[in-house]
Amino acid sequence: MRRPEHRPEVKAPPRWTFPEPARWWLDNGLQMLAFHRPDQHIAAVSLVLDTPLSTEPSDIEGVATITQRCLDEGTATHPGPAFAERLEDIGALLSGSAGYAASDLLLEVPASRLSEALLLLAQAMSEPELRASDVDRHQSLRLAEIEHTMANSSNRAQVAFRHACIPGRFRASRLAGGTAATVAAIASDDVAAYHARHYRPEGATLVISGDLTNEVYHQAAAAFGGWEVQGTLGVHHQTPVSRTPHCWLIDRPGAVQADIRLGGFGIDRGDPRWADLQVATHALGGAFLSRLNRVLREEKGFTYGVHLVNSPMRDGGLLAVQGSFRTEVVPEALDLARQLLDVTGEPITTSEVLDSVNYINGIAPLRYSTAQGVTERVSSLVGAGLSAEFVNSNALALTRVTPESATQALTELLPPDALTLVVVGDAEALREPLVAAGWPVTLKA
Amino acid sequence: MGNVASSDQMNYPIHQRTLDNGLRVVVSPDHSVPMVAVNLWYDVGSRDERPGEHGWAHLFEHLMFSGSDHVATGEHLNLLQSLGGAVNATTWFDRTNYFETLPVGALELALWMEADRLASLPSHLDETSVDTQREVVKEEKRQRYDNVPYGDAMKHLVRLVFGPDHPYGHTTIGSMADLDAATAERAANFFRNHYRPDNAVLALVGDVSAKEGFKRAERAFGHLPAWNRRLRPPVTSLPPLQGVPVLQVQARVPAAATWFAWRLPPRDTPDFDACELALVALGGGQTSRLHQQLVRNLGVAAGAGASAVPLVGGNSFGLVQLRALPGADASAAIEAALTEVERLAAEGPTAAEIARAKAQYAREWLSELAALDSRADMISAYATLHSDPERVNRRLAEVEAVTLDQVAAACAAYLQPGQRAQLDYQQEVGDAQA
Repeated sequence: MRRPEHRPEVKAPPRWTFPEPARWWLDNGLQMLAFHRPDQHIAAVSLVLDTPLSTEPSDIEGVATITQRCLDEGTATHPGPAFAERLEDIGALLSGSAGYAASDLLLEVPASRLSEALLLLAQAMSEPELRASDVDRHQSLRLAEIEHTMANSSNRAQVAFRHACIPGRFRASRLAGGTAATVAAIASDDVAAYHARHYRPEGATLVISGDLTNEVYHQAAAAFGGWEVQGTLGVHHQTPVSRTPHCWLIDRPGAVQADIRLGGFGIDRGDPRWADLQVATHALGGAFLSRLNRVLREEKGFTYGVHLVNSPMRDGGLLAVQGSFRTEVVPEALDLARQLLDVTGEPITTSEVLDSVNYINGIAPLRYSTAQGVTERVSSLVGAGLSAEFVNSNALALTRVTPESATQALTELLPPDALTLVVVGDAEALREPLVAAGWPVTLKA
Repeated sequence: MGNVASSDQMNYPIHQRTLDNGLRVVVSPDHSVPMVAVNLWYDVGSRDERPGEHGWAHLFEHLMFSGSDHVATGEHLNLLQSLGGAVNATTWFDRTNYFETLPVGALELALWMEADRLASLPSHLDETSVDTQREVVKEEKRQRYDNVPYGDAMKHLVRLVFGPDHPYGHTTIGSMADLDAATAERAANFFRNHYRPDNAVLALVGDVSAKEGFKRAERAFGHLPAWNRRLRPPVTSLPPLQGVPVLQVQARVPAAATWFAWRLPPRDTPDFDACELALVALGGGQTSRLHQQLVRNLGVAAGAGASAVPLVGGNSFGLVQLRALPGADASAAIEAALTEVERLAAEGPTAAEIARAKAQYAREWLSELAALDSRADMISAYATLHSDPERVNRRLAEVEAVTLDQVAAACAAYLQPGQRAQLDYQQEVGDAQA
C-alpha cells in the first residue's frame, strides 16, 4: 500500500444553524422552550428563575443558594427523603445554581420518564417543605464548603479577582453562595420568605430538550399549570462597573505554585464588541498555540496551561489571564504575559481571526448535539437576558470580525498599564521579586 | 431499570474491521450533526510502567504533540482546532487515548496526522522537547495534585490497596524523580514498544458511513507495518485485603477527611457490577445510606460518598470518602460509616435500593453515550479492554440482570470492613481553622 505523502485537503463544513425552539406561555406567565433532539435518550430540563442575587438582603447573602439546596429535601406531596427517592427511582438527577443574574435548576432524566420528572420538578419549585432542620444542615454544609473553596488556590484567586475588579456595592463582587458571616446569619424563616417572594412562574423559563413527543406541551402544562403565586414582582438587575486597578498578593504559605489572574472588568454578550473580544481571547489565550500558551507553556515550560478567559455576566464581565506557575518563574511569566497582552505593536492577524472563527463556529454542532448541551446553553442565555437566537446571530457576527476590530476590542478592554493582578501563592518567596519586577503588590489576607 | 431505558432501545450501529497490520477499526455512523469523532486508544497506561518509569506513559502522551514527519511541533492540536475540532489526549491506568471531534470535511486530514505521528514520532524526539514537556508535566503535577488539598489522596490509596510494586500501585502522574529520568531515547523506546497499529483501536463515530470510514482508515493507516503484538504477562487477581492497612497524613487541608478502599474484581464482570451497585446504594447519592445517616441524620460529616474505579488488570478498586465538619476530627464519621459498611456486608441492600442504583447507572450510561466524542471513547474502551465494542449496546442489560442476591453476595465477599484499607488526613497542627 502506498503511503499518502500529501496532506489531505479539507472540505468546508456544511452550514449549520442552531435549532428554533417550539415556544409557549402558560397562563401563569411561565415561558416554555422545547428543543427536539432526535435519538437522544436523555432529556435535559432547566427552570430559569429571574432572581438576581442583588435581591438577597445583604446581611443574609447566600439565602438564594440555601433555598435552592433545600428544594429537594422534601415536598408537600413527597415529604422528607421520599422526594429524593422518587427522583432517583426514575433515574433523574437534579442540580442547580443560584447565579448572580438568575437561579436555575437542571434536571436530567431518561426521556421515557420525562413526564414524571416534570411533575417532581414542579413540586420542588412550588411546594418544597423547607424544614428548619434542612435549612440548618445546608447552612452548616455551606460553611464547610466555603472553607474548602478558600483552601483551593485557584478558587481563592477567582474570588479575589472578582472582588478586585467589581466595586463592593455590587452583589457580583462577592461569592454567589454568600460568605461565612452572611451564611451564618441565615434563619429558616429567611429561606421560606425568599422562596415565597422569588419563586414564581412569571418571568421564569422552562427549557426542555431531548427526543420529545408531541405530548411535551401537555406534560409541562400538567406539571406547571397549577403553579400560582400572589401578586407581581418587579425585578431589578444591577449593572456593575469597573473598580480602579489593584495588585494583590494573597498568602498561601509553602505553596509550590502561584495562581495568577491578570486582567480586568470586561463586557457582556450584548456589547457590540462581543464577537471581536471572543476572537481576540481565542487568539491570545484560547487556542493550544495561542500567543500566551505558545510562549509560557510550549516554549518556556512554565505552566501546564495558560488561558485568557472571558467570563460574561448579564451586565459586564470579567476578563483575565489565568494560570498556575511554579513560584520562581512568576515574575518572568507575568512580564511575558503583560507584553503579550499588548497587541498594539503586534496586532491580531488575519489568520488568527480566521482560525478563531472557524474554531468557535466549527465546534458548535458538537456542543449542541446533546440535550444537555442545548439546555445548558439556552438557560445560560435566558439567565443573561438573551434568547436562544443569540447563538445564530453571534455565529454571524463572528464572521464579520476583522483583525482591526479584534485588536481594537482587546486594546480597549485590557490596557497594559491598567491591569488588575491577583497572585495567590507563597508571599514570603513572591513579594520582593514581584515588587522588583514592577508589580506593586499589596498583601491581602 | 426496565422502565427507565430498556436495553432493547440500545442499538448504536457497530461496524468492525481489522487492518492487515492489526489496527482494529470500529465505525459507528450517526448523521445527526455534520461532525465526526476520531478516537484512538493505545493499549498502554501507567500499569505498563516499570519501577523507575512512573509517569512516563503520561509524559510521552504530551510528546505525541511535539511533531512528526509532516507535522510541526504543536501543529496537530492547533491545526485541527482551527478547523473547528475539539482535540485532546489523556492517560489512565489502563490506556492512553487521543481524540479529535471535527467537521466531517476534516476527517481525512485528522487520520493522516494521527497516522503520521504513529509512523514517525520516535525519530523526531529530541532532548529539548522532552525537557520542555517534562517541565509542563511537572507543572501539571503541581497544579492538579501537589498544590491541591487532598491532591495526593489517590497516590496513597492505590499504594495502600495494591502495594508499590503492583501495576496499579502508582498513579498516572508519576513521581518527579522518574520524570527527571526520562530522555528522548527512552521515550523513543517506549513508543516503539507500545505505539503500534496492532496495539491500538481506532473508533470513528459520526457523519460517516461504515464503508467510507473503513476506506479512510485503510488509506491513512494501511501502509504502516505490522509488529508482533506485544503480550502482557497474564494478570493475577489479588484477594481482598486483610488486616486493614492504615495511613495517616498530616497536611494543610481545610478539614479532616478519611477514605476507605477495597480491592474489587476486574471491571465489567458480574461481581464487579454487583460491587458497583452496592457502592451506589452505600454512598452514590442523596438517598444513599452514608449521606442519609452521616450527613442528614447524625450530622457528623460534611460529605460522604462511595464509588467504584473500574480497571481491567485483575482487580478494580472501590472507595468511600468522608469529609469531616470544619474543626472536627473524622472519628464520629468513621465510626458511623463503618457501621453502615458492616450492615451492608452482613445484610446486603434492599430491592428498592438496587432498583434505584440501576436507574442511576442507566442515566449515567446513557449520558456517556449521548455525545459523539464520549460515545467514541466508550466504543474504543470496549474494543480495547474487552475486545467487544458491541457491548456498549448490551451493558445496560448486563447491569439490569444483576440480582439482589448477587449484590448481597458481593458485599459479603468484597466489601467487609476488615477488607478495607484506610487513609486519614488530619489538619496540620497550627493550620487548623480557629
